[in-house]
Amino acid sequence: MTATSTALNTRTSTPGALFSTLSVPIAIVALLVVGAIISPSFLTVSNLVNVLNANAAVGLVALGMTFVAVCGGLADLSVPANVAMGALVTLGAQSFAGPFAAAGLGLLVATVGGVVNGLLIGYLRINPIIATLGTGAVLLGLSQQLIGGGIVYGEPSALADFVKGSFLGIPVMVWILAVAALILTPVLSRTAFGRWNLAVGGNYEAAEASAVPVRFTKAGAFVLTGLLAGLCGVLLALSNGQARPIIGTGYEFVAITAVVIGGTSLFGGSGSVLRTVGGVIITALIGNLIILGGLPTQATGLVTGAIVVVAVGIDVYFRRKGGRE
Amino acid sequence: MRRLDLRATGRTAVRYRLLVLLVIVAIFGSITIVDFFSVDTLQSVLNRATVVGFLALGLTPVLIAGQIDLSIGSILSMAGITTIALQPVIGNVPAALAGLGVGVLIGAVNAAIVVVFKISSLVATLATLLIFASLALLLTDSQPVSSTDPIFGIPLTGDLLAVFTPRSALFVAAAILMFVWLRFTPSGRNLYAVGSNAAAAKSAGIRSNAYIVATFLISGLFAGAAGVLQSLSTATGSPVAGAVMLIPAITAVVIGGTRLEGGRGSSLATLGGVVALGALTMMFEFNGVPAYTQAIYTGVLLIVLITLDRLVSGDGRPTSRTLRRARVESPTPRGIQEEA
Amino acid sequence: MTIRRNIVVAASAAAALALALAGCSSGGGGAASADGDTGSVEGKEICYITAANSHPYVTPANEGAQAAADAAGVKLTIVSEEFSPQTGAEQLDSCVARGVDGILLWPLDDNSYLPGLLKAEQEGIPVVAIDTTTGEDSMALIESFVGADKYDQGKISAQQLEKALGGEGGIVIIAGQAGNGTEIARTGGFMDELEASGSKLEVLATVNADFDQQKALVASRDLLTKFGDQIKGVYAEDDTMAKGFQQALAESGLAITPFIVGINGEKGAFESIKAGTQYSTIIQPPFRNGELAIETLIAVMKGETVDEMVPLENTVVDAENVDDNEPAM
Repeated sequence: MTATSTALNTRTSTPGALFSTLSVPIAIVALLVVGAIISPSFLTVSNLVNVLNANAAVGLVALGMTFVAVCGGLADLSVPANVAMGALVTLGAQSFAGPFAAAGLGLLVATVGGVVNGLLIGYLRINPIIATLGTGAVLLGLSQQLIGGGIVYGEPSALADFVKGSFLGIPVMVWILAVAALILTPVLSRTAFGRWNLAVGGNYEAAEASAVPVRFTKAGAFVLTGLLAGLCGVLLALSNGQARPIIGTGYEFVAITAVVIGGTSLFGGSGSVLRTVGGVIITALIGNLIILGGLPTQATGLVTGAIVVVAVGIDVYFRRKGGRE
Repeated sequence: MRRLDLRATGRTAVRYRLLVLLVIVAIFGSITIVDFFSVDTLQSVLNRATVVGFLALGLTPVLIAGQIDLSIGSILSMAGITTIALQPVIGNVPAALAGLGVGVLIGAVNAAIVVVFKISSLVATLATLLIFASLALLLTDSQPVSSTDPIFGIPLTGDLLAVFTPRSALFVAAAILMFVWLRFTPSGRNLYAVGSNAAAAKSAGIRSNAYIVATFLISGLFAGAAGVLQSLSTATGSPVAGAVMLIPAITAVVIGGTRLEGGRGSSLATLGGVVALGALTMMFEFNGVPAYTQAIYTGVLLIVLITLDRLVSGDGRPTSRTLRRARVESPTPRGIQEEA
Repeated sequence: MTIRRNIVVAASAAAALALALAGCSSGGGGAASADGDTGSVEGKEICYITAANSHPYVTPANEGAQAAADAAGVKLTIVSEEFSPQTGAEQLDSCVARGVDGILLWPLDDNSYLPGLLKAEQEGIPVVAIDTTTGEDSMALIESFVGADKYDQGKISAQQLEKALGGEGGIVIIAGQAGNGTEIARTGGFMDELEASGSKLEVLATVNADFDQQKALVASRDLLTKFGDQIKGVYAEDDTMAKGFQQALAESGLAITPFIVGINGEKGAFESIKAGTQYSTIIQPPFRNGELAIETLIAVMKGETVDEMVPLENTVVDAENVDDNEPAM
């Protein structure tokens, strides 16, 4: 696919680069202002906590998707299948393995899905869109075959109570997302693995020539996403107490949208996990504002799509201005 | 000597993958089902393949040009509801033309976002997918629109020369026309150049942007045609009909052999991919194979085909190099940026 | 090399064509071959176009259908629309083209099946509809309908809320996936009943939660933020989404007790009704639905007359009769 966005924004403090860095926080502030205007109950602690909580689970997936985007892996379309597998196995295995082991098993199954993706895309160099489309179809089909059409119910457990609980007024799910973001942000920006991802996405051949383990890096991004998708499924299953194979539907789109709105290019070479967190918050704000504003929920796609065009358009514009023409 | 033969055989098998696939389907089909291999089945397969087929056909030049169009499903839905909703207002045929027009219009929107705002087609069409899917729901209040003249569209799925129906004949004709354009006209050949290396094409005097605009218009037109044909055949304009069709369309194109990376592809290959997928689905349905098992087989098939393709034609290195070069308009080296 | 390749291609194409033409003579499939004994259906084939292969409600219905077919010695081929009426319309065309002996159809919208039904009528293939009715013109071409109506479920839910709220108050609707046939019917039945009965219940908001618990949870949190104690009643179009609302309510710590009505008769809903957090649910027996539908179709194939509507009860389950009933899923 020919990308028409060109050079990365440089560290020079041109207005363009500055705007690019601030675009996400500015967007969030703008949405907060809109929210305050349209509803008196918007700027309350409980509502803002709800906003953070709304996309906490899918936010984990978006974090992984950041690595996928940064290394030039475009997108992982097998996310719904990995989320579903994580959720179904977590609850389904409880009866013979106990809640903790079952959750671990759920994570494991989803990670295996990620490993398959990694092998196909990283080592066999297969187009990521097709590969993840294929593996996702296989995994989701398998999950439906296993469940045979029913609903999988979970048993009450201390683990479930923990996931559903709060700590210092913030829900545990939000804490988990925060911890994950705190760990993964420096992983991308400061560790070798992170630098490899940026290198691979920026210029595959040059990275290879510089002895970067390109295949391992690309594979790693997909394994990470599989793991995080599984974690998302595990958490959702435990907090809802039941699961069906449709549980992850649409999550790949939410994750990709969050990455894109956050300013990371899907073609790789630049990006940051923190930006994606901003994107996750923005998508959660959109959903919240639509309901508080009394708009029909069918309008969500319209608003999200429009924001994507505006956000990415502005970003591209300033990058072209700030970078070399 | 023997190793060389094996490689050559492998290459041939991959090249004629579609034929191999069709033969396998035919064999399995005729073993498991009485009367599977008959003119009726062929007619049925072609007829069912039409709607996905038009989507896949429209996608082909877009992919050849190195772009992608994810919004084709939403275009289908919009065209479908336009066609049916306008029937009582302007008449059956004008309404169908209006449906086509809506397809071209959304294609133009895609083209504008990609060429004017310089947003990548992946992101741009992801956005328009969301926008127009949402718009379709809002315009129809989430309800399917019933046709005021359901009889009008019925002949579309009637008999035509035993193996065709009017709509499948249109599909095959469109595929052939596109093949002629891509293979035998200068503009068709230029499209491949644009997809392989946009910068080089530009320096050779080809107006890449114009070609890219054209492919989005074509994709919109064909997706519109798919929507018009489907809505007329079912006498219903559904706001969600297109949502499930994107994946089968992409699958068919990939099975046919067109690459997602650009620079290569063929509408006949897409036709073959669509028919092969349709025949496979038919065979599964005749055997009562559940949808989730079909998904497993199709997913495995997709991965096997694409893996074979990669193994046989090398590790794809040249493709990724042209991909890199095609992305950057000016050949300045890219630095590695880190952001906190 | 090129010449050899071309010959291979030409030969294969010719072989394919020859086979196709050979099949031409036996084309037409096993049409409704007239046997002398109109009463026997052994060995005949029924094409069952179902809504899904893997779904908590549809799967037991499919199993019921299979059981009834096996009992009668009829071959049942199940194809799934996967909730797309467009796919179903095409499958209907395919089944008719194959010349099966009977068709059981699960309609997902009003008109998409009309062309296929017209063809079925032309070929003399009887069609029975299961679970959902379809448009008037289409129903005229269908021998019988077996099921409890989704539209009816919406209507009953409205009546339940009327009863619970004593005729007035604010309510919210947590609807299924926008554009989905079930959602349209259950919302339509509900809204039409409110209007028809001149109800003073006020619909504060309707949100789409795609029959998914997590989506319902997120939307419910926002609804509670916006409306708080104005919410006196909740209509959730299935029990899974009802659970999502209950979760949100518990989280919010608001001291309100809105009446929540759901549909489907899920295990979780039964527990909620017993615990007093849900007002009622509606069950219809899926297995019996499938069984009865096939039995009705077989009766038609045998030449017997059947009722146009074979209704299945929509059973309302609330605190009073929850112990006397079994969850449907």
